[in-house]
Amino acid sequence: MHCIEVGGLVHRYGEDTVLGGIDLQVPRGSIYGFLGPNGAGKTTTLRLMLGLLRKQQGSIRVFGRSFDEHRLEILRKVGALIESPSLYDHLTAVENLELLQRVHQCPRSRIQEVLALVDLVGTGGKTTRQFSLGMKQRLSIAIALLHSPELLILDEPTNGLDPNGIIEMRELLKRLNREHGITILISSHLLAEIERLVTDVGIISRGTMRFQGTMSELKQRRHRALAVTVRTSDDGKALRLLTDQGLSVRAEEGQLVLPGAADGEVAAVNRCLVSSGLDVYELHVARNDLESIFMELIEGVA
Amino acid sequence: MSFVHSLQSEWLKQRKSLASWMVLLGAFFTPAVIIVARLLHGEGLPALYAADGFWTLLWRNSWESAAIFFLPMGGILATTLMTQLEYKNNAWKLVHVLPLSLATLYFSKLAIILLTLARFFLLFNVGIYLSAVIPALLVSGVPYPKGPIPFTRFLGENLLFFVDCLPIVALQYLISLRSRNFLVPIGFGFLLWVGTLAALSWRWNFLIPYAYTMIDYLRAGNSSKVATPLVDIHLMAGGYFLLFTVAGYWLFSTQKEKG
Repeated sequence: MHCIEVGGLVHRYGEDTVLGGIDLQVPRGSIYGFLGPNGAGKTTTLRLMLGLLRKQQGSIRVFGRSFDEHRLEILRKVGALIESPSLYDHLTAVENLELLQRVHQCPRSRIQEVLALVDLVGTGGKTTRQFSLGMKQRLSIAIALLHSPELLILDEPTNGLDPNGIIEMRELLKRLNREHGITILISSHLLAEIERLVTDVGIISRGTMRFQGTMSELKQRRHRALAVTVRTSDDGKALRLLTDQGLSVRAEEGQLVLPGAADGEVAAVNRCLVSSGLDVYELHVARNDLESIFMELIEGVA
Repeated sequence: MSFVHSLQSEWLKQRKSLASWMVLLGAFFTPAVIIVARLLHGEGLPALYAADGFWTLLWRNSWESAAIFFLPMGGILATTLMTQLEYKNNAWKLVHVLPLSLATLYFSKLAIILLTLARFFLLFNVGIYLSAVIPALLVSGVPYPKGPIPFTRFLGENLLFFVDCLPIVALQYLISLRSRNFLVPIGFGFLLWVGTLAALSWRWNFLIPYAYTMIDYLRAGNSSKVATPLVDIHLMAGGYFLLFTVAGYWLFSTQKEKG
């Protein structure tokens, strides 16, 4: 069962197509990382999902219902933080929460609960104008959580946080997901920042989805070798031998380079060279890390 | 019910805002000036306070600055400041993801602006009363003002001045909702106010939506500065208010980008 289902989402600003038919499914109970470089279309997608931009083409279903037809019903169960914090800077943290508590009609005790959750209980009469960016970001999370939503949509929530703040935010989101079953859709332009947090990933670049699946599916790509490099006592002879074996080998910068190969194939290359009397000085398997997979995907390199 | 909740939220939002303080200051400014002036010229007060028509004279003196300056400019500033709270705090995206209909969002904010205007009237009336009473208490030999306060007449005039302000509020609201830049609605309002002052003696002055408080006040004093309007200006004010409110809602509900 999907919490969010987006199909064929297209959005244009004038002649410029920023979303070219996005399909996105966020499984219920997941933490979904929506990744992509700046300007890829993440914020536009999230704003369309929340009705902040008028939809031009495509479908958006949340909790199995069309957003267009059930906007209010859906928004009652959604908490959101889009880009920079939205806070009334002449009011305190409690007053900011109070005015939203009136709209959501949740118990007043929730105000202290969510403040405790983001570690902002002791701010007293300080107006949010005097808050640091990190405090503002945490208060925005508290606002998003005030009405105990089932779905949390967070657009780059770690912007402006120091490393400690990022870790705390990660732990908080994990806890909310684990203990309260909240589905979380979180966008980021840094894979490293959310790879330890998310269960599912969608990667967007230049307005199109480049990958969508579970984190383990993305990680599986890591195990494929990118290339094998070999250096021997006679690279010329080694080149002929391996070419005769039907391998696509090329000489490059004083070494031989073979395309990515499975572990068994790498061992076979080694055996062939040694049995032909060559000394193997170096046999190196270059593997993909997640970051390079991410870069490949967003740069459109297959 | 959600409209009432939204009203409460809007009320809390503006309670400590600059607009709220400005209303307080604007309402008591003229009465404070009158008190100071009377305290400085205490020798003429016993005769003034014993005269018939004391309340009517005080009422006219107090409303002069309000009708010409404080009401139009206050309406422009307060409406703009209250509407621009969301732009200033980058909070439209927060407001638009609340489970509230667009009509609730639009009309609850407008209702709070009108309530703030009503608060100005209330405080201004309290201020007028205090400007009569305080000199009598502080200067020896000055009696309590002679004659009863003409409540019904003053209430009626309050109501008509309130109606006269409605087009200013509605048009400023419309423009402030459309423009991210604070200077646009303020500049527009200020220019229209100056233009209205210049056009008061024009026979078609009643066509200008910001003119009604001024026409109302000057006409009652038979001032030569204002041309007598050919139509009922209160009806005109009500009509403009309705027109600007509906147009504002249409623009608000059809905007492509919300926040």
